[in-house]
Amino acid sequence: MDSSNDEALDIIVTNVVATFRTRCHLNLRTIALEGTNVIYKPEVGKVLMKLRKPKITASIWSSGKIICTGATSEDEAKLGARRLARCLQKLGFKVRFSAFKVVNVLAVCSMPFAIHLIDFTKNNRPIASYEPELHPAATYRIKHLKATIQVFSTGSLTVTGPNVQNVATAVEQAYPLLFECRKPLCK
Amino acid sequence: MSSRVCKTCGGSDIDVDQARGSAVCTGCGSVLEDNIIVSEVQFVEGSGGVSSAVGQFVSADGPVKAPLLGSGFHTSVGKESRAQTLQSGKRQIQQLGSQLQLNQHCLDTAFNFFKLVVSKHLTRGRKTEHVIAACLYLVCRTEGTPHMLLDLSDLLQVNVYILGKTFLLLARELCINAPAIDPCLYIPRFAHMLEFGMKTHEVSMTALRLVQRMKRDWMHTGRRPSGLCGAALLVAARMHKFRRSVRDVISVVKVCQTTLRKRLTEFEDTPTSQLTIDEFMKVDLEQECDPPSFTAGQHKAKMQQLEQELARKLDEVEGEISCYKDEIETELEKSRPKLRGIYAAYSKEINPEDDEVLSSLSEHEEVEDTDFHATTEHLTQDFLSQVIQEEKGQGRKTVNDDVRVQEEGPEEEVEPQEEAGPQHQVAPLAIILGNLPSAASLSLQETFQTFDKAEAGGSPDDEQSESGELDLNGIDDQEIDKYILNDKEVQVKTELWMKQNAEYLQEQKEKEERINKEKEQGTYKEKKKKTYKKREQIQASTASEAIEKMLEKKKISSKINYDVLRDLNCGTGSPSRSSDEPPNTTTSQKRLNRRRCRKSSEANQDLAANTCIMGKRFRRLISSTPKKKKLASSVENTVTMATAAAAEPADSDTHSTPQAAPNPVEVEEEEEEVEVEEECVSALQLVGDYGCEVEEEDVF
Repeated sequence: MDSSNDEALDIIVTNVVATFRTRCHLNLRTIALEGTNVIYKPEVGKVLMKLRKPKITASIWSSGKIICTGATSEDEAKLGARRLARCLQKLGFKVRFSAFKVVNVLAVCSMPFAIHLIDFTKNNRPIASYEPELHPAATYRIKHLKATIQVFSTGSLTVTGPNVQNVATAVEQAYPLLFECRKPLCK
Repeated sequence: MSSRVCKTCGGSDIDVDQARGSAVCTGCGSVLEDNIIVSEVQFVEGSGGVSSAVGQFVSADGPVKAPLLGSGFHTSVGKESRAQTLQSGKRQIQQLGSQLQLNQHCLDTAFNFFKLVVSKHLTRGRKTEHVIAACLYLVCRTEGTPHMLLDLSDLLQVNVYILGKTFLLLARELCINAPAIDPCLYIPRFAHMLEFGMKTHEVSMTALRLVQRMKRDWMHTGRRPSGLCGAALLVAARMHKFRRSVRDVISVVKVCQTTLRKRLTEFEDTPTSQLTIDEFMKVDLEQECDPPSFTAGQHKAKMQQLEQELARKLDEVEGEISCYKDEIETELEKSRPKLRGIYAAYSKEINPEDDEVLSSLSEHEEVEDTDFHATTEHLTQDFLSQVIQEEKGQGRKTVNDDVRVQEEGPEEEVEPQEEAGPQHQVAPLAIILGNLPSAASLSLQETFQTFDKAEAGGSPDDEQSESGELDLNGIDDQEIDKYILNDKEVQVKTELWMKQNAEYLQEQKEKEERINKEKEQGTYKEKKKKTYKKREQIQASTASEAIEKMLEKKKISSKINYDVLRDLNCGTGSPSRSSDEPPNTTTSQKRLNRRRCRKSSEANQDLAANTCIMGKRFRRLISSTPKKKKLASSVENTVTMATAAAAEPADSDTHSTPQAAPNPVEVEEEEEEVEVEEECVSALQLVGDYGCEVEEEDVF
């Protein structure tokens, strides 16, 4: 599956972003004054609330939309979101937990070889783009998976996609292409 | 100009007088040509003695049809919006391109890119400046000129990453594959700027070799090419005995000192740096290096590993020392003289405690203290035994035995499990926790279990999320209560927050006061949010109807071939309908708009309304294209008919009243005058006026 001989590649999910709605209007000032770990930003119009147990940060808007970031897995994101909703419930709002959706998953992965970015870009012309003046990595966008892979010359990869499955598939798809343009490391 | 033969005398000697613009045969004197078109520039003296050239500038790719004099006025004088955009774009490209010293071919290519971009609507929402810069940079990349994105951003004073974003987007949308930047391209340019005089070429060649070497050593991937060039040029300059400091180089190359120094150190790490100058020019090493970031990462990993090993070794040594310490203590005990008499009683009390502390394990009634001790000892002994095991393998059980002798009680259970079990450090912890009968471990386990349960309870949520109910499974209420402050805390926080955000609150108050005051005064103008009126859906039964309605709603363009459109609509349209308009002055116009009158006043009303709406546009159409008047009017009629058929009277009422009032109908005349009619009086009135007059023959 991975077309690697010795080890399997470790894809480590570092961040999961999810959104959900509480279907009720929230008074940000109350939340700001009665909650711990809360930062109120009136200019932007949102409240940042940080939870410790699943370590997540949530942006809460007064319309009831909430964005949760910082979780390390999809389940954790959901748990954190529910915790948050429970907390808001206790503060006195008529909170309903609806429309929970994982929006973005960020993962890192490391290849056991270095990659020649210029060759890689040349072989995959429209899909890959490399602009050394702007960013040291080559960007490879897979449209049908809606995933983006940033390839560094040291062989480390940063993958973003809508869910964990897509991310894994993206890495698997990209592996043979990267393998072609590899450069075995001396040490 | 070919000399022609005179018709009368056959002589070929023809005198062309440019000033008079005439060609005369010198043999017989007959005038062959009059009013020759000359392509010379004539000058005219203006006021103040200023002489200016006579004539108009006509752009090469302007509007296809020249604006007809005496007729034809669109909203924008002379050109359409698209043409104007292109023209201004071309001007900006020329301006920017000349600053970069690009040749005309490049500028033309850039303009072509710009035309493509405009046709794909990629300019929407972007500053024209950015788009132009991106087009120019695209040309630079495809042509391979030594211009950097940084140069462009310097000229425009725009952040280079913003330009880069636009550039990437354009390249993607236009499917233009810009070849990758080669640092070798920049060398000649920078070398020239560093002023090496006669030796510029040699220095460039050396620098080029250096850059190629860097490429092979994997220093160039992921780095800005300008940084590499800077380092290469610096070294090359020194090699040729030119004194160029780091500061000179960075001012030319536009990177910072740190970057340059880093590149130099990286180059230093490669084996090539060990060669002498002559060797370098001749020899090329085969070996390639790893990318520097990779080596740095590996270095870090190695350091970490070393540290870990050191820590382990330290622990080991400590363990050994404590072993020896214990042994020494026991020996001392034995050799200590026994106390007799009263002192014996005292010493007995002290001794047991000492013994416990020294021997470091016991089965105590007081659970907490000794548990702590026990656990710490556990951990250190575990570490020890693990390390020993790892290093010396199973053979060295003697040390373990020694260790074991010192221990009593629960540890013995632990040891055999350890030796057999995995080397992970998590396992011993669990085992320890499992064995120790302390309240702490029990509660810890509980929380672990609740956590597991929580994760398992994820799936039943799916059904509940539909209803919006919150699934409380696995949520520890106690913990969440901790997140909520009690009353006193709330008070304190409120105070703090108010103090902190005093300015913001003040602003808000002032704003409210201001609004209230304005409301009282009646001058309160609420800032209208830009609400985009929703486009009405066109209700049409056939495709041709839909086209007509669309035409009427949208601005009518001069590029539509109405001939074709009319043929398309031949099914629905009948060319004779009445339409009204405010009193006209020219008879030709009247004739144009006369039609057989309609029967129902309602229909008239509709028509009136519609023509009021469209009067403006149709006037334009009609008068601008005299040949096409018929077509235009027929289109108008078919459209009006269609709209009349579709629109309800109520609708048209609302239309007519607002439209009637501010509808300045432009009456175009042949003489290029625009007569603005003030206020169609009322649609019905107008129709009433014309109801009887319309019975005239069609002129066409």
